[in-house]
Amino acid sequence: MQAVNLLPRDIEVPPMLRGNQGASVRLSGVSRSFDANRVLAGLDLHVRPGEFLSIVGKSGCGKSTLLRLIAGLDKPTTGTVTVDGKPATQAGDRLRIMFQEPRLLPWASVADNVAIGLRNGPDPDAVAEALELVQLPDKASFWPAQLSGGQRQRVALARALVSHPGLLVLDEPLGALDALTRLTMQNLIRDMHAKAGFTAILVTHDVAEAVALSDRVIVLGQGGILSQTEILRVGPVTRGSAELAAIEGEILDAIFAA
Amino acid sequence: MSVIETLSPARSRSPGWRPSLPGRHALLPYAVPAAILMLWEIAGATGLVADTVMPRPSTIFATAVRMTLSGELFTHLGVSAARALAGLVIGGGIGFALGVANGVSRISETLTDTTLQMIRNIPHLALIPLVILWFGIGEGAKLFLVALGVFFPIYLNTLHGIRNVDSQLIEMGRAYGMTSRELFRRVVLPGALPSIFVGLRYGLGIMWLTLIVAETLSASSGLGYMAMQAREFMILDVVVLSILLYAALGKLADTLTRALDRRALKWSPAYAGR
Repeated sequence: MQAVNLLPRDIEVPPMLRGNQGASVRLSGVSRSFDANRVLAGLDLHVRPGEFLSIVGKSGCGKSTLLRLIAGLDKPTTGTVTVDGKPATQAGDRLRIMFQEPRLLPWASVADNVAIGLRNGPDPDAVAEALELVQLPDKASFWPAQLSGGQRQRVALARALVSHPGLLVLDEPLGALDALTRLTMQNLIRDMHAKAGFTAILVTHDVAEAVALSDRVIVLGQGGILSQTEILRVGPVTRGSAELAAIEGEILDAIFAA
Repeated sequence: MSVIETLSPARSRSPGWRPSLPGRHALLPYAVPAAILMLWEIAGATGLVADTVMPRPSTIFATAVRMTLSGELFTHLGVSAARALAGLVIGGGIGFALGVANGVSRISETLTDTTLQMIRNIPHLALIPLVILWFGIGEGAKLFLVALGVFFPIYLNTLHGIRNVDSQLIEMGRAYGMTSRELFRRVVLPGALPSIFVGLRYGLGIMWLTLIVAETLSASSGLGYMAMQAREFMILDVVVLSILLYAALGKLADTLTRALDRRALKWSPAYAGR
Protein backbone atom coordinates (compact mmCIF):
# COMPACT_ATOMS: atom_id res chain seq x y z
CA MET A 1 0.00 0.00 0.00
CA GLN A 2 1.26 3.42 -1.00
CA ALA A 3 0.45 6.58 0.83
CA VAL A 4 0.43 10.00 -0.70
CA ASN A 5 0.18 12.51 2.07
CA LEU A 6 -1.06 15.92 1.17
CA LEU A 7 -3.20 18.72 2.53
CA PRO A 8 -6.87 18.10 3.19
CA ARG A 9 -9.13 20.24 1.11
CA ASP A 10 -12.03 22.38 1.81
CA ILE A 11 -14.93 21.59 -0.45
CA GLU A 12 -18.33 23.10 -0.49
CA VAL A 13 -20.82 20.41 -1.49
CA PRO A 14 -23.51 21.65 -3.89
CA PRO A 15 -27.09 20.74 -2.91
CA MET A 16 -27.67 18.36 -5.83
CA LEU A 17 -24.85 16.13 -4.64
CA ARG A 18 -25.54 16.13 -0.94
CA GLY A 19 -26.60 12.88 0.66
CA ASN A 20 -25.62 10.84 -2.37
CA GLN A 21 -24.52 7.32 -1.56
CA GLY A 22 -21.86 5.49 -3.55
CA ALA A 23 -22.88 2.10 -4.86
CA SER A 24 -21.15 -1.13 -3.95
CA VAL A 25 -20.07 -3.28 -6.92
CA ARG A 26 -19.32 -6.97 -6.66
CA LEU A 27 -18.10 -9.38 -9.34
CA SER A 28 -17.87 -13.06 -8.45
CA GLY A 29 -16.45 -15.76 -10.66
CA VAL A 30 -16.97 -13.64 -13.77
CA SER A 31 -15.95 -15.19 -17.09
CA ARG A 32 -16.66 -13.89 -20.55
CA SER A 33 -15.90 -15.77 -23.74
CA PHE A 34 -16.37 -14.69 -27.33
CA ASP A 35 -16.76 -17.94 -29.27
CA ALA A 36 -13.63 -19.91 -28.33
CA ASN A 37 -11.80 -16.85 -27.08
CA ARG A 38 -11.87 -16.54 -23.32
CA VAL A 39 -11.27 -12.92 -22.35
CA LEU A 40 -12.07 -13.04 -18.65
CA ALA A 41 -11.72 -16.17 -16.50
CA GLY A 42 -13.17 -16.44 -13.01
CA LEU A 43 -12.60 -12.85 -11.98
CA ASP A 44 -13.53 -11.66 -8.47
CA LEU A 45 -13.65 -7.98 -7.59
CA HIS A 46 -15.28 -5.86 -4.95
CA VAL A 47 -15.50 -2.09 -5.30
CA ARG A 48 -16.36 -0.26 -2.10
CA PRO A 49 -18.98 2.50 -2.02
CA GLY A 50 -17.38 5.79 -2.93
CA GLU A 51 -14.14 4.21 -4.12
CA PHE A 52 -12.40 5.43 -7.29
CA LEU A 53 -11.05 2.36 -9.06
CA SER A 54 -8.99 2.36 -12.24
CA ILE A 55 -8.44 -0.60 -14.50
CA VAL A 56 -5.29 -0.59 -16.63
CA GLY A 57 -3.61 -3.19 -18.83
CA LYS A 58 -2.27 -3.90 -22.27
CA SER A 59 -4.70 -3.46 -25.13
CA GLY A 60 -6.73 -6.60 -25.62
CA CYS A 61 -6.42 -7.56 -21.94
CA GLY A 62 -10.20 -7.41 -21.54
CA LYS A 63 -10.54 -4.10 -19.71
CA SER A 64 -13.26 -2.84 -22.01
CA THR A 65 -15.05 -6.18 -21.79
CA LEU A 66 -14.90 -5.97 -18.00
CA LEU A 67 -16.25 -2.43 -18.03
CA ARG A 68 -19.13 -3.38 -20.32
CA LEU A 69 -20.05 -6.15 -17.90
CA ILE A 70 -19.98 -3.77 -14.94
CA ALA A 71 -22.05 -1.23 -16.88
CA GLY A 72 -24.63 -3.88 -17.70
CA LEU A 73 -24.12 -3.43 -21.46
CA ASP A 74 -23.09 -7.09 -21.70
CA LYS A 75 -23.70 -10.23 -19.64
CA PRO A 76 -21.00 -12.57 -18.30
CA THR A 77 -20.78 -16.11 -19.69
CA THR A 78 -20.61 -17.34 -16.10
CA GLY A 79 -20.58 -15.57 -12.76
CA THR A 80 -22.46 -12.53 -11.49
CA VAL A 81 -22.04 -8.76 -11.55
CA THR A 82 -24.07 -6.86 -8.97
CA VAL A 83 -24.50 -3.18 -8.16
CA ASP A 84 -25.89 -2.68 -4.66
CA GLY A 85 -26.79 -6.36 -4.62
CA LYS A 86 -28.86 -6.19 -7.80
CA PRO A 87 -27.77 -7.39 -11.27
CA ALA A 88 -25.92 -4.62 -13.11
CA THR A 89 -28.42 -4.76 -15.99
CA GLN A 90 -31.16 -3.65 -13.58
CA ALA A 91 -29.25 -0.81 -11.96
CA GLY A 92 -31.27 1.83 -13.87
CA ASP A 93 -30.19 5.40 -13.21
CA ARG A 94 -28.12 4.36 -10.18
CA LEU A 95 -25.49 3.50 -12.78
CA ARG A 96 -24.27 5.92 -15.42
CA ILE A 97 -21.67 5.49 -18.12
CA MET A 98 -19.35 7.89 -19.90
CA PHE A 99 -18.00 6.64 -23.20
CA GLN A 100 -14.79 7.43 -25.01
CA GLU A 101 -16.85 9.61 -27.35
CA PRO A 102 -19.33 12.14 -25.95
CA ARG A 103 -22.19 10.43 -27.83
CA LEU A 104 -24.43 13.48 -27.66
CA LEU A 105 -27.49 13.61 -29.90
CA PRO A 106 -26.45 16.16 -32.56
CA TRP A 107 -30.09 17.20 -33.12
CA ALA A 108 -30.77 17.98 -29.46
CA SER A 109 -29.62 21.08 -27.61
CA VAL A 110 -27.06 20.80 -24.82
CA ALA A 111 -29.85 21.07 -22.22
CA ASP A 112 -31.92 18.37 -23.93
CA ASN A 113 -28.87 16.13 -24.09
CA VAL A 114 -28.28 16.53 -20.37
CA ALA A 115 -31.98 15.82 -19.74
CA ILE A 116 -31.52 12.36 -21.30
CA GLY A 117 -29.93 11.44 -17.97
CA LEU A 118 -33.21 12.13 -16.18
CA ARG A 119 -35.70 9.30 -16.28
CA ASN A 120 -38.64 11.20 -14.83
CA GLY A 121 -39.03 13.72 -17.62
CA PRO A 122 -37.19 17.00 -18.13
CA ASP A 123 -36.35 19.04 -15.06
CA PRO A 124 -34.86 22.42 -16.08
CA ASP A 125 -33.50 23.12 -12.60
CA ALA A 126 -31.63 19.83 -12.38
CA VAL A 127 -30.24 20.32 -15.91
CA ALA A 128 -29.10 23.87 -15.12
CA GLU A 129 -27.45 22.64 -11.93
CA ALA A 130 -25.62 19.86 -13.75
CA LEU A 131 -24.38 22.29 -16.41
CA GLU A 132 -23.25 24.65 -13.67
CA LEU A 133 -21.30 21.81 -12.14
CA VAL A 134 -19.37 21.11 -15.34
CA GLN A 135 -18.82 24.85 -15.80
CA LEU A 136 -20.97 25.22 -18.91
CA PRO A 137 -23.93 27.19 -17.53
CA ASP A 138 -24.23 29.45 -20.58
CA LYS A 139 -24.22 26.72 -23.23
CA ALA A 140 -27.65 25.22 -22.49
CA SER A 141 -29.21 26.27 -25.79
CA PHE A 142 -26.20 25.44 -28.00
CA TRP A 143 -26.03 22.55 -30.45
CA PRO A 144 -23.31 19.96 -29.71
CA ALA A 145 -21.68 20.84 -33.05
CA GLN A 146 -21.00 24.33 -31.70
CA LEU A 147 -18.89 23.05 -28.81
CA SER A 148 -15.26 21.98 -28.59
CA GLY A 149 -14.32 18.36 -27.93
CA GLY A 150 -13.65 19.00 -24.25
CA GLN A 151 -16.92 20.91 -23.82
CA ARG A 152 -18.84 18.05 -25.42
CA GLN A 153 -17.29 15.59 -23.02
CA ARG A 154 -18.26 17.89 -20.16
CA VAL A 155 -21.86 17.86 -21.38
CA ALA A 156 -21.63 14.06 -21.40
CA LEU A 157 -20.40 14.23 -17.79
CA ALA A 158 -23.33 16.47 -16.85
CA ARG A 159 -25.69 13.98 -18.53
CA ALA A 160 -24.14 11.16 -16.50
CA LEU A 161 -24.33 13.03 -13.20
CA VAL A 162 -27.72 14.74 -13.50
CA SER A 163 -29.53 11.70 -12.07
CA HIS A 164 -27.18 11.57 -9.02
CA PRO A 165 -25.89 8.08 -9.81
CA GLY A 166 -24.31 5.84 -7.21
CA LEU A 167 -21.87 4.44 -9.76
CA LEU A 168 -20.13 6.21 -12.61
CA VAL A 169 -18.45 3.97 -15.16
CA LEU A 170 -15.86 5.70 -17.37
CA ASP A 171 -14.64 4.04 -20.55
CA GLU A 172 -11.51 6.03 -21.45
CA PRO A 173 -13.54 9.22 -21.57
CA LEU A 174 -10.48 11.43 -21.95
CA GLY A 175 -8.63 9.36 -24.54
CA ALA A 176 -9.57 11.55 -27.48
CA LEU A 177 -8.81 14.90 -25.86
CA ASP A 178 -5.69 17.02 -26.18
CA ALA A 179 -3.24 17.00 -23.27
CA LEU A 180 -4.35 20.28 -21.70
CA THR A 181 -8.07 19.62 -21.93
CA ARG A 182 -7.34 16.20 -20.53
CA LEU A 183 -5.78 17.63 -17.39
CA THR A 184 -8.69 20.02 -16.89
CA MET A 185 -11.14 17.14 -17.29
CA GLN A 186 -9.18 14.98 -14.84
CA ASN A 187 -9.43 17.72 -12.24
CA LEU A 188 -13.13 18.12 -12.92
CA ILE A 189 -13.83 14.40 -12.57
CA ARG A 190 -11.77 14.16 -9.40
CA ASP A 191 -13.55 17.17 -7.89
CA MET A 192 -16.91 15.75 -8.84
CA HIS A 193 -16.03 12.42 -7.25
CA ALA A 194 -14.79 14.04 -4.06
CA LYS A 195 -17.90 16.18 -3.75
CA ALA A 196 -20.54 13.69 -4.78
CA GLY A 197 -19.29 10.51 -3.21
CA PHE A 198 -20.32 8.21 -6.06
CA THR A 199 -18.33 5.08 -6.82
CA ALA A 200 -16.22 5.48 -9.97
CA ILE A 201 -14.68 2.82 -12.17
CA LEU A 202 -12.35 4.07 -14.88
CA VAL A 203 -10.76 2.16 -17.73
CA THR A 204 -7.72 3.89 -19.18
CA HIS A 205 -4.50 3.11 -21.00
CA ASP A 206 -2.84 6.07 -19.33
CA VAL A 207 -1.24 4.88 -16.08
CA ALA A 208 -0.45 8.46 -15.00
CA GLU A 209 -4.13 9.31 -15.32
CA ALA A 210 -5.13 6.24 -13.33
CA VAL A 211 -2.68 7.14 -10.56
CA ALA A 212 -3.74 10.78 -10.52
CA LEU A 213 -7.42 9.94 -10.10
CA SER A 214 -7.83 6.68 -8.24
CA ASP A 215 -7.91 5.20 -4.78
CA ARG A 216 -6.96 1.84 -6.25
CA VAL A 217 -5.46 0.74 -9.57
CA ILE A 218 -5.79 -2.82 -10.82
CA VAL A 219 -3.74 -4.30 -13.62
CA LEU A 220 -5.71 -6.69 -15.79
CA GLY A 221 -4.17 -9.48 -17.86
CA GLN A 222 -4.43 -13.17 -18.69
CA GLY A 223 -8.13 -13.15 -17.90
CA GLY A 224 -7.76 -11.89 -14.34
CA ILE A 225 -6.29 -9.31 -11.97
CA LEU A 226 -2.47 -9.33 -12.06
CA SER A 227 -1.82 -6.75 -9.35
CA GLN A 228 -3.52 -4.13 -7.23
CA THR A 229 -2.16 -0.88 -5.86
CA GLU A 230 -3.96 1.14 -3.20
CA ILE A 231 -3.25 4.85 -3.25
CA LEU A 232 -4.07 6.48 0.06
CA ARG A 233 -5.08 10.09 -0.37
CA VAL A 234 -5.48 12.65 2.27
CA GLY A 235 -5.85 15.60 -0.05
CA PRO A 236 -5.26 16.83 -3.57
CA VAL A 237 -2.36 15.28 -5.37
CA THR A 238 0.58 17.24 -6.63
CA ARG A 239 0.98 16.09 -10.15
CA GLY A 240 4.42 14.77 -10.93
CA SER A 241 5.35 14.23 -7.28
CA ALA A 242 7.99 11.62 -6.51
CA GLU A 243 5.50 9.38 -4.67
CA LEU A 244 3.11 9.27 -7.60
CA ALA A 245 5.95 8.70 -10.05
CA ALA A 246 7.12 5.73 -8.00
CA ILE A 247 3.64 4.19 -7.94
CA GLU A 248 3.29 4.78 -11.67
CA GLY A 249 6.59 2.97 -12.27
CA GLU A 250 5.47 -0.03 -10.23
CA ILE A 251 2.21 -0.33 -12.10
CA LEU A 252 3.96 -0.06 -15.47
CA ASP A 253 6.35 -2.84 -14.37
CA ALA A 254 3.37 -5.02 -13.47
CA ILE A 255 1.82 -4.40 -16.89
CA PHE A 256 4.99 -5.24 -18.79
CA ALA A 257 5.78 -8.26 -16.62
CA ALA A 258 2.59 -9.91 -17.85
CA MET B 1 -35.09 6.61 -64.17
CA SER B 2 -36.50 3.97 -61.89
CA VAL B 3 -32.98 2.98 -61.00
CA ILE B 4 -32.51 5.23 -58.01
CA GLU B 5 -29.44 5.04 -55.88
CA THR B 6 -29.26 6.33 -52.37
CA LEU B 7 -26.97 9.24 -51.83
CA SER B 8 -25.36 10.58 -48.75
CA PRO B 9 -27.31 13.56 -47.45
CA ALA B 10 -26.41 16.88 -49.00
CA ARG B 11 -25.15 18.48 -45.85
CA SER B 12 -21.41 18.59 -46.24
CA ARG B 13 -21.61 21.68 -48.39
CA SER B 14 -18.94 23.52 -46.51
CA PRO B 15 -17.34 26.40 -48.40
CA GLY B 16 -13.99 24.57 -48.38
CA TRP B 17 -11.43 26.00 -50.77
CA ARG B 18 -13.95 27.90 -52.85
CA PRO B 19 -13.72 31.65 -52.19
CA SER B 20 -17.00 33.11 -50.98
CA LEU B 21 -18.90 35.52 -53.23
CA PRO B 22 -18.48 39.17 -52.38
CA GLY B 23 -21.62 41.12 -51.50
CA ARG B 24 -25.23 40.13 -51.96
CA HIS B 25 -25.90 37.44 -54.53
CA ALA B 26 -29.50 36.36 -53.97
CA LEU B 27 -30.40 37.19 -57.58
CA LEU B 28 -27.23 35.85 -59.16
CA PRO B 29 -28.58 32.33 -59.86
CA TYR B 30 -31.31 33.91 -62.01
CA ALA B 31 -28.93 35.94 -64.20
CA VAL B 32 -28.45 33.14 -66.75
CA PRO B 33 -32.19 32.32 -67.17
CA ALA B 34 -32.89 36.07 -67.55
CA ALA B 35 -30.19 36.40 -70.21
CA ILE B 36 -31.58 33.39 -72.10
CA LEU B 37 -35.09 34.91 -72.04
CA MET B 38 -33.73 38.16 -73.42
CA LEU B 39 -31.79 36.52 -76.25
CA TRP B 40 -34.83 34.39 -77.04
CA GLU B 41 -37.08 37.46 -77.24
CA ILE B 42 -34.59 39.25 -79.49
CA ALA B 43 -34.23 36.21 -81.76
CA GLY B 44 -38.03 36.08 -82.15
CA ALA B 45 -38.49 39.81 -82.64
CA THR B 46 -35.82 40.05 -85.35
CA GLY B 47 -37.33 37.11 -87.21
CA LEU B 48 -34.26 34.93 -86.64
CA VAL B 49 -36.56 32.27 -85.18
CA ALA B 50 -40.04 32.03 -86.68
CA ASP B 51 -42.96 32.28 -84.27
CA THR B 52 -44.34 29.05 -85.71
CA VAL B 53 -41.23 27.23 -84.51
CA MET B 54 -40.74 28.87 -81.17
CA PRO B 55 -43.04 31.59 -79.83
CA ARG B 56 -41.45 34.54 -78.09
CA PRO B 57 -41.45 34.90 -74.27
CA SER B 58 -43.68 37.96 -74.55
CA THR B 59 -46.24 35.95 -76.55
CA ILE B 60 -46.13 33.15 -74.02
CA PHE B 61 -46.50 35.63 -71.19
CA ALA B 62 -49.54 37.15 -72.88
CA THR B 63 -51.01 33.69 -73.29
CA ALA B 64 -50.36 32.97 -69.62
CA VAL B 65 -52.15 36.18 -68.62
CA ARG B 66 -55.08 35.41 -70.92
CA MET B 67 -55.45 31.84 -69.64
CA THR B 68 -55.09 32.97 -66.04
CA LEU B 69 -57.86 35.53 -66.48
CA SER B 70 -60.14 32.96 -68.09
CA GLY B 71 -59.44 30.60 -65.18
CA GLU B 72 -58.44 27.81 -67.56
CA LEU B 73 -54.82 27.75 -66.41
CA PHE B 74 -55.64 27.41 -62.74
CA THR B 75 -58.14 24.65 -63.37
CA HIS B 76 -55.51 22.55 -65.12
CA LEU B 77 -52.80 23.55 -62.67
CA GLY B 78 -55.02 22.66 -59.72
CA VAL B 79 -55.92 19.28 -61.18
CA SER B 80 -52.26 18.44 -61.82
CA ALA B 81 -51.14 19.65 -58.41
CA ALA B 82 -53.85 17.64 -56.66
CA ARG B 83 -52.81 14.49 -58.56
CA ALA B 84 -49.15 15.08 -57.76
CA LEU B 85 -49.83 15.65 -54.10
CA ALA B 86 -52.15 12.68 -53.71
CA GLY B 87 -49.61 10.40 -55.42
CA LEU B 88 -46.83 11.79 -53.25
CA VAL B 89 -48.80 11.26 -50.04
CA ILE B 90 -49.83 7.70 -50.94
CA GLY B 91 -46.55 6.51 -52.49
CA GLY B 92 -44.36 8.47 -50.08
CA GLY B 93 -46.40 7.36 -47.10
CA ILE B 94 -46.17 3.68 -48.01
CA GLY B 95 -42.47 4.05 -48.87
CA PHE B 96 -41.75 5.73 -45.56
CA ALA B 97 -43.74 3.18 -43.58
CA LEU B 98 -42.06 0.21 -45.28
CA GLY B 99 -38.65 1.85 -44.99
CA VAL B 100 -39.15 2.30 -41.26
CA ALA B 101 -40.54 -1.21 -40.83
CA ASN B 102 -37.67 -2.80 -42.75
CA GLY B 103 -35.11 -0.61 -41.04
CA VAL B 104 -36.36 -1.56 -37.59
CA SER B 105 -37.46 -5.17 -38.06
CA ARG B 106 -35.29 -7.88 -39.51
CA ILE B 107 -38.31 -10.14 -40.12
CA SER B 108 -40.05 -7.46 -42.14
CA GLU B 109 -36.89 -6.77 -44.14
CA THR B 110 -36.23 -10.44 -44.89
CA LEU B 111 -39.82 -10.87 -45.94
CA THR B 112 -40.23 -7.86 -48.24
CA ASP B 113 -36.92 -6.34 -49.30
CA THR B 114 -36.01 -8.85 -52.03
CA THR B 115 -39.46 -8.50 -53.59
CA LEU B 116 -39.23 -4.72 -53.52
CA GLN B 117 -35.75 -4.77 -55.04
CA MET B 118 -37.10 -6.90 -57.90
CA ILE B 119 -40.00 -4.55 -58.53
CA ARG B 120 -37.62 -1.59 -58.37
CA ASN B 121 -35.85 -2.85 -61.47
CA ILE B 122 -38.97 -2.48 -63.60
CA PRO B 123 -39.15 1.05 -65.02
CA HIS B 124 -42.49 2.13 -63.61
CA LEU B 125 -43.46 3.91 -66.83
CA ALA B 126 -43.21 0.54 -68.60
CA LEU B 127 -46.36 -0.37 -66.68
CA ILE B 128 -48.44 2.27 -68.49
CA PRO B 129 -50.13 -0.14 -70.95
CA LEU B 130 -51.02 -2.46 -68.10
CA VAL B 131 -52.19 0.37 -65.89
CA ILE B 132 -54.45 1.71 -68.63
CA LEU B 133 -55.97 -1.73 -69.01
CA TRP B 134 -56.51 -1.97 -65.26
CA PHE B 135 -57.68 1.52 -64.41
CA GLY B 136 -58.71 2.94 -67.79
CA ILE B 137 -57.69 6.56 -68.27
CA GLY B 138 -59.29 7.76 -65.01
CA GLU B 139 -57.64 9.21 -61.95
CA GLY B 140 -56.71 5.78 -60.62
CA ALA B 141 -54.15 5.18 -63.35
CA LYS B 142 -52.31 8.45 -62.75
CA LEU B 143 -52.43 8.10 -59.00
CA PHE B 144 -51.06 4.57 -59.22
CA LEU B 145 -48.16 5.56 -61.47
CA VAL B 146 -47.17 8.62 -59.43
CA ALA B 147 -47.42 6.70 -56.16
CA LEU B 148 -45.30 3.87 -57.55
CA GLY B 149 -42.69 6.30 -58.88
CA VAL B 150 -42.45 8.22 -55.60
CA PHE B 151 -42.44 5.07 -53.49
CA PHE B 152 -38.97 3.79 -54.32
CA PRO B 153 -36.72 6.79 -53.64
CA ILE B 154 -38.47 7.40 -50.34
CA TYR B 155 -38.44 3.73 -49.35
CA LEU B 156 -34.75 3.25 -50.22
CA ASN B 157 -33.53 6.41 -48.54
CA THR B 158 -35.61 5.88 -45.40
CA LEU B 159 -34.23 2.35 -45.09
CA HIS B 160 -30.70 3.54 -45.80
CA GLY B 161 -31.04 6.36 -43.25
CA ILE B 162 -32.35 4.12 -40.49
CA ARG B 163 -29.75 1.44 -41.12
CA ASN B 164 -26.96 3.97 -40.90
CA VAL B 165 -27.94 5.64 -37.67
CA ASP B 166 -24.87 5.81 -35.43
CA SER B 167 -24.90 2.56 -33.41
CA GLN B 168 -22.95 4.30 -30.65
CA LEU B 169 -25.86 6.68 -30.09
CA ILE B 170 -28.25 3.73 -29.94
CA GLU B 171 -26.06 2.05 -27.34
CA MET B 172 -25.98 5.31 -25.38
CA GLY B 173 -29.78 5.52 -25.53
CA ARG B 174 -30.13 1.96 -24.27
CA ALA B 175 -27.60 2.53 -21.49
CA TYR B 176 -29.57 5.60 -20.44
CA GLY B 177 -32.73 3.56 -20.16
CA MET B 178 -34.63 4.68 -23.28
CA THR B 179 -37.49 2.38 -24.27
CA SER B 180 -37.63 1.13 -27.86
CA ARG B 181 -40.27 3.70 -28.66
CA GLU B 182 -38.23 6.54 -27.16
CA LEU B 183 -35.12 5.28 -28.91
CA PHE B 184 -36.94 5.43 -32.24
CA ARG B 185 -38.41 8.87 -31.67
CA ARG B 186 -35.36 10.53 -30.18
CA VAL B 187 -32.43 8.76 -31.85
CA VAL B 188 -33.34 6.67 -34.91
CA LEU B 189 -35.80 8.95 -36.67
CA PRO B 190 -33.84 12.22 -36.27
CA GLY B 191 -30.70 10.36 -37.33
CA ALA B 192 -32.39 9.08 -40.49
CA LEU B 193 -33.99 12.42 -41.35
CA PRO B 194 -31.21 13.82 -43.60
CA SER B 195 -31.39 10.69 -45.73
CA ILE B 196 -35.20 10.75 -45.79
CA PHE B 197 -35.05 14.30 -47.15
CA VAL B 198 -32.74 13.17 -49.94
CA GLY B 199 -35.40 10.57 -50.79
CA LEU B 200 -38.10 13.20 -50.75
CA ARG B 201 -36.19 15.43 -53.16
CA TYR B 202 -35.69 12.54 -55.57
CA GLY B 203 -39.30 11.53 -55.13
CA LEU B 204 -40.54 14.99 -56.06
CA GLY B 205 -38.57 14.93 -59.32
CA ILE B 206 -40.01 11.56 -60.23
CA MET B 207 -43.46 12.72 -59.20
CA TRP B 208 -43.54 15.49 -61.83
CA LEU B 209 -41.96 13.31 -64.48
CA THR B 210 -44.48 10.53 -64.00
CA LEU B 211 -47.38 12.92 -63.94
CA ILE B 212 -46.35 14.60 -67.19
CA VAL B 213 -46.06 11.27 -68.98
CA ALA B 214 -49.32 9.96 -67.54
CA GLU B 215 -51.24 13.13 -68.37
CA THR B 216 -49.81 13.34 -71.84
CA LEU B 217 -50.87 9.80 -72.61
CA SER B 218 -54.32 9.78 -71.16
CA ALA B 219 -56.21 12.52 -69.45
CA SER B 220 -59.09 14.91 -69.86
CA SER B 221 -57.66 17.65 -67.67
CA GLY B 222 -54.35 18.77 -66.19
CA LEU B 223 -51.24 20.44 -67.55
CA GLY B 224 -50.21 17.45 -69.67
CA TYR B 225 -53.65 17.34 -71.22
CA MET B 226 -53.48 21.07 -71.87
CA ALA B 227 -50.18 20.63 -73.72
CA MET B 228 -51.45 17.70 -75.81
CA GLN B 229 -54.64 19.52 -76.65
CA ALA B 230 -52.64 22.56 -77.78
CA ARG B 231 -50.43 20.32 -79.92
CA GLU B 232 -53.51 18.95 -81.73
CA PHE B 233 -54.49 22.47 -82.67
CA MET B 234 -50.90 23.66 -83.24
CA ILE B 235 -51.15 26.30 -80.51
CA LEU B 236 -47.43 26.45 -79.91
CA ASP B 237 -47.41 29.12 -77.18
CA VAL B 238 -49.61 26.97 -74.93
CA VAL B 239 -47.33 23.97 -75.50
CA VAL B 240 -44.28 25.97 -74.45
CA LEU B 241 -46.19 27.54 -71.57
CA SER B 242 -47.05 24.18 -70.09
CA ILE B 243 -43.44 23.05 -70.38
CA LEU B 244 -42.30 26.20 -68.59
CA LEU B 245 -44.93 25.62 -65.90
CA TYR B 246 -43.55 22.16 -65.26
CA ALA B 247 -40.11 23.67 -64.81
CA ALA B 248 -41.50 26.28 -62.40
CA LEU B 249 -43.43 23.67 -60.40
CA GLY B 250 -40.40 21.41 -60.15
CA LYS B 251 -38.28 24.30 -58.92
CA LEU B 252 -40.98 25.31 -56.44
CA ALA B 253 -41.18 21.79 -55.02
CA ASP B 254 -37.42 21.65 -54.69
CA THR B 255 -37.27 25.04 -52.97
CA LEU B 256 -39.94 23.97 -50.49
CA THR B 257 -38.06 20.78 -49.61
CA ARG B 258 -34.84 22.69 -49.21
CA ALA B 259 -36.52 25.08 -46.80
CA LEU B 260 -38.00 22.14 -44.88
CA ASP B 261 -34.60 20.44 -44.92
CA ARG B 262 -32.88 23.49 -43.53
CA ARG B 263 -35.47 23.90 -40.82
CA ALA B 264 -35.35 20.29 -39.72
CA LEU B 265 -31.57 20.03 -39.89
CA LYS B 266 -30.68 23.33 -38.28
CA TRP B 267 -28.50 21.44 -35.79
CA SER B 268 -26.18 20.30 -38.57
CA PRO B 269 -22.86 22.15 -38.82
CA ALA B 270 -23.37 22.39 -42.60
CA TYR B 271 -26.33 24.69 -42.01
CA ALA B 272 -24.91 26.71 -39.16
CA GLY B 273 -25.11 30.43 -39.85
CA ARG B 274 -26.84 30.02 -43.20
